[in-house]
This record gives sequence, structure tokens and C-alpha cells, in this order.
Amino acid sequence: MSGIVCAIRGGPGSRPTIDKAISLAAESDLRIYYLYVVNLDFLAHTQSSRIHSITEEMTQMGEFILLSAQATANARNVGAEGVVRQGDIGEEIVNLCLEVKADYVILGTPQVEREENIFNIQRLNTFRERLEGETGAQVVLVGGETE
Amino acid sequence: MKKWRNGFFLLFLVATSLILITQQVGAQAESPQKTALISGTIFDSQKQPVAGAEIVWSPQPGGEPLAQTTSQPNGSFALVLPETVKGSLLTGSAIRSSNSSEAGLPLSQVLTSTLTLQISRPHFKPDAIQLDQAAVQSLKAGQPVALPEIVMQRRIDLGFWIATVVFILVLVLIASGQLHNTLASLLGAALLLGISYLGEPLRQDLFIFNFNNALNYVDWNVVFLIMGMMIVIAVVERTGIFQWLAYMAYRISGGRTWLLVPILMLITGVASAFLDNVTTMLLMTPITVQIALSMGISPLALLMPEVMASNMMGISTLIGTPTNILIGSYASITFNDFLKNLTPGVFLGFIGLVIYSEFVYRKELLSDSEEGVSALLLEKLAERARITEPIHLQKAGVVGLGMLLLFIFGENVHLLPSVTALMGATALLVWIKPDIEEMIEAVDWTTLVFFITLFIVVGAVQEVGLISFIADGISRVVGSNLVLATLIIIWLSALLSTVIANIPFTAAMLPVVAFLSGTIPGATDKVLFYCLSVGSALGGNGSLIGASANMVTAGIAERAGYPITYVYFLKKGFPALVITVGLLTLWIFIRF
Repeated sequence: MSGIVCAIRGGPGSRPTIDKAISLAAESDLRIYYLYVVNLDFLAHTQSSRIHSITEEMTQMGEFILLSAQATANARNVGAEGVVRQGDIGEEIVNLCLEVKADYVILGTPQVEREENIFNIQRLNTFRERLEGETGAQVVLVGGETE
Repeated sequence: MKKWRNGFFLLFLVATSLILITQQVGAQAESPQKTALISGTIFDSQKQPVAGAEIVWSPQPGGEPLAQTTSQPNGSFALVLPETVKGSLLTGSAIRSSNSSEAGLPLSQVLTSTLTLQISRPHFKPDAIQLDQAAVQSLKAGQPVALPEIVMQRRIDLGFWIATVVFILVLVLIASGQLHNTLASLLGAALLLGISYLGEPLRQDLFIFNFNNALNYVDWNVVFLIMGMMIVIAVVERTGIFQWLAYMAYRISGGRTWLLVPILMLITGVASAFLDNVTTMLLMTPITVQIALSMGISPLALLMPEVMASNMMGISTLIGTPTNILIGSYASITFNDFLKNLTPGVFLGFIGLVIYSEFVYRKELLSDSEEGVSALLLEKLAERARITEPIHLQKAGVVGLGMLLLFIFGENVHLLPSVTALMGATALLVWIKPDIEEMIEAVDWTTLVFFITLFIVVGAVQEVGLISFIADGISRVVGSNLVLATLIIIWLSALLSTVIANIPFTAAMLPVVAFLSGTIPGATDKVLFYCLSVGSALGGNGSLIGASANMVTAGIAERAGYPITYVYFLKKGFPALVITVGLLTLWIFIRF
């Protein structure tokens, strides 16, 4: 098994990342694994007891977002599937890469540098090195992701 | 083992309901009046009753107290004088040498021509009340004496500054998000009590209040009402009703986005009137995002109107927002009172909000979407839009209707809302027998601890007099002008609630509003409490941090790739605040 792992969160910021994955898949004839990670850090300061219910809702929302990306890939004759995980986004990207023996990982670079970004440029570069070292996959950075 | 735990939890709920009922019914018997007593009522300079003041009678200055009592929550006290006094307790040598020293002297022999009562209480200047000769003669004759109103003056001491600083610290920690709300208020309560107990031996004025005093400030009606409603919500939220309703909104709108917006706003608003706003938005936001993606429009065009409707329509009932629960419990405003006095105004505001939302999102709502409607996504949406637990939903519907009837008609038998909520929650748990572990997890204990500790923190600033000084300041500005007071309470609350968490703000403002209601002519119909309700809730629409519902909506929207920034929310939300607060102000003037 091999393929392209593409972590997205949806919205206009993810379009360049999705498109890059599709064009790379078309060139290399690889399958795309779109990844959405449910992250509920925003509940930390309010409703921690609601995590059980909201996790299900967020998982469904993630599947929905991925479905849209899959449909875009399928329309261009590229095979794609969606994977929704919960937890730390970095760990889940690494795990999925190892599971599918990914050849490429497509990551969006932040449009705007903000402290709350999970991956700012510095963290992204550190993560890239770690990802390539641990999984052997080639990391492709695409401008436009807002995360 | 699990059965035992389930049984214990249910038993706890039933017992709590019974305790609340008996507390409500009981405590009516009054102690029989003794003849030789001095009664009176103590107020502060804002005419608020002073509880916990110590009234002491000692015949000689610094001598052993022969009678003492403490003022009640309504400021009243009754000091019963002893019929006889042992001579050994008196410092006067003539009396001590008397043969009667062992058996006791009659009170009439002990009393001289005047009598002085010493009155003291932390954070107030000590006072001495001298009874005149006529009053003393009455006491000698065994007749009770009623004193005129006693006014104690506040004293700014070290405890005052400590309580004030801790209160501000808690507000800042909550507003800045440096600490979890609960942790911030827990820290505040621990600091206040710790300083009181550990500091008093070093400096007396470091004392703020003792543990029992602190607990007296906790409004258990609020705590148990919130807990009961959390259990009911936990059952309802798992039935899939929100997802089904949202999808039905799409179906009814026929894909017309301009029509979808008011329908979704109405569903969210009505849900928020009975459930807490955060839960409503947590459940509505993901499904709304999915509807918007299916229709190829920005989810923000649906989410912003929804969350603003949620913040506004929550105030139409007693149980819709924590601030209303606080206000209702403090000012004895019933479920029906809110329905009569605020709900029509809220619908007026709703109309204004719908028009504003349609205008501000007209480009997204009226133009054809870039991506178009996705048949695939719509199909998926329809698949998921189903009631997942229909039996639970039916039972929750029956219990919910029963609770609604009790909320409405229960006031005729003085049924507290907390008792209704606890009875409803218990009935639902007994009927559907859910996994009790899950139910216990669904109760947001951190929120309950937040309320308990917040009451203590706000109680501290009441105790030391900060609230009285604020009330005094506002009173000087508004004088006896009710219109000015109405405008100030609504708009000040709304503007401050955009930056300060509205729950601690409302809790702190309650005694202020109570004071103004008691001093401004015409304000006795609780109009100012409704103003506080409107301002503190609608202020949430003014900024991203103005309401917890905004924060969770923004959190989910960001995770769908549609971030709601502070500036974005301010641009869209602040005009909505001005419009809706303006309309509700108009309604308040019409209604009152």
C-alpha cells in the first residue's frame, strides 16, 4: 500500500492543498488519503463535559468535509478516501503515513502567521523534518492553508 | 456495583428535591416573644439590611456581656435580656458584695437610668446605641422596646482592598482566558478564604468572611436548577433532534438561503430559550456547516445569525440563560414574569435581527453560490438527519412538557424552579434508565463549581462594601430618574458584557440593581432587573469573547476552515448589538 496523505480542515484555505494532492496523484497514479483530525481544544475553557457528544458531531462534520474533497478528486479520475481521526494533528499525520506507507504528504502552509496556528512556519519546518525522518514520505508544502 | 451507584445517584437527586421542598415549606415558626427584649433593624447607608452584626449589652464598659445576639439576613434582631443577673458577672463592688450575688439580681436592679448597646460587624464602623430613660423604664417593667432604624457606616479596610483586587483578578483571568473559568473563580474563593483565616491572626482587618458566611452567598436554587437542566439536556442532545430540525429547516426553505436563515435562527433561538446557549450552538454548528457546504455557501452566513439569535432569545425564559437564572432567583422573578415581560420584546428584537442578518449577508444569501448545490453532500445530509433515539425523545418530550407546566403554574404553590428541574431530571432518569455513568459525565460539574465559587467571590465584594459603593455611585448619577437608570443599566450592561464575562458581571450587579430598585421611585416592579437581563445577554453579541456560545461556534467554524476572528465578529456583531438592544429598550419602555 502506498499513497498520498493530505491533511485538510476544509474551507477555501484547503483548496490549494486539495488541488495539489489531486495533481500529484494524477501524475504518480497514487491514491489520496484525505485526513481530518478532530481537535476539541477550543472546549478546554468552557464545556468540557460536552466532549462526548461534540466529538461525534465533529467527526461527522469532518467526514462531510472529506467527502467534498473526495468528490473533487473522483471527478478528476483520481482515487481518494477520507480518514477522520481524533487527537493531536501531528501524531495522527505520522500514524496515517506509517499505516498507508505514504510516499508523499501534502501540508498547507499558513496564510497568516498567528500564535494560535497549530503549524506556524517554524513549527511546520520542524514537523516536516520529523515526518520525513519517521515515515520516509516526501513532504510537499502548499501555500494557502489557514491552519 | 454499577446498580448500587445508579441507585445512589437517583437517591441523591430525590433526597435533594425533598430537602429543597422542605426548606421551602418550613422555617415559618417564630420563636415566642420574651417580654424584656430590645428589637430593631440594622441597615447600611444604602438601606440594605446588615446581616451578622453582633449586638451586645454589657452593663459596664468592657465587662462581661449579659446579652448578645446577631442580626438576621433581613437586618432584624431581637436581644432578649436576662430576667436575673448573677452578681459575679457584674463589676460593681456594691452589687457584687450583695447576698444576691449567687442567686442572681433581678434585671430591674441591674439596669441603671440608661442602657448602651454595642453593635459591631467586620467592614463596618463599630456603633453604640444608647437607650433613653423611658426605654429603660419600659424594660424594667418587662415591656419590649423597639428601636428606630439603625444605620451602620461602611469602613474601607485592608479586607476591602484584598476582596476588590481578587474580584478584578478573577474577571481578568476569565476574560483573558489565562485560566479556565472554574479555576479562576476557584482560585479567587480559595484566596479570599485563605487570607481571611490565615491573615486574621496577623491583622484583624485582613478578615473578609468566614466559611459559613461565604456559603451564605451561594444561591443553591441557581446551582440545582442548572444541574437539573444539564441532565435533561444530556438526554435530549443524544436523540438527534437538533440534526433533524436543522435538516428540516433546509427542506422547508426549499434551498432558498434567504429563507433558510430565519428558520435556522428561529430553531436555534427557541432551543436556546429552554436549553443553555452553549449546548445549543455546540449541536447546531456542525450540522449548519454541513448544510452550508451542501448548498455551496459560506457557513458564516448561517452561523453568525444563529449564534446572535441564540444569545438574544435565551433571555425570553427564566431557564434560557445562566444570567436569567441568577436574576430570577435573586429577584424572585418567575418563569411567567419573563414570558410576560421579556418574550414579546425578544420577538421584536428577533425581527430586527433577521432583517439585519439578511442585509449584512445579502451577497452570500441572494447570489448564486460559486460551487453550487452538491447533490452528493445533500444526499449524505439527508441520510444523517434522523432521530437516533426516538423512544428517548418521546419520553423527554413528555417530561419536558410536564416541566414546562410546572415552571408556568408552579409559582402558585411557590414551587422553586430548581425543584422542578430536579424532579424533571429524576423522572427522566428513572423512566429511560440511561447509563448513569454517562449521565454523570454529562453534568458539567466544572460549571457548577464555577457558580459556587463565583458566588463566594462576588459575596466577598458585597461583604466588604464594594458593591454598596458602586450602587451609591450609580445612584448619585441617576438620582431618582427611572428613565436614566433604565438606559444606564441596559446599555452599560450590554457594553461591559462585550468585554467582561456576563455571569460574574450579572452576579455582581444584582445587589446594585436591588438597591436602585429600592430607591428610585417607580422601579419597584423589577424593571431594572429586566434591563440587566437584556443588557448582559445581548452584550454577548457585541464581541467574540462576549459569550461562551460565540467561542464554541468560532471554534467549530475554524475547524471547518472558516475562522471567525475577533474583528470579523465585532464588525458583524456590534451593529446587531446596537439594533437589538435598541429594540429591547423600546420594548421595556412600552411594557413598563
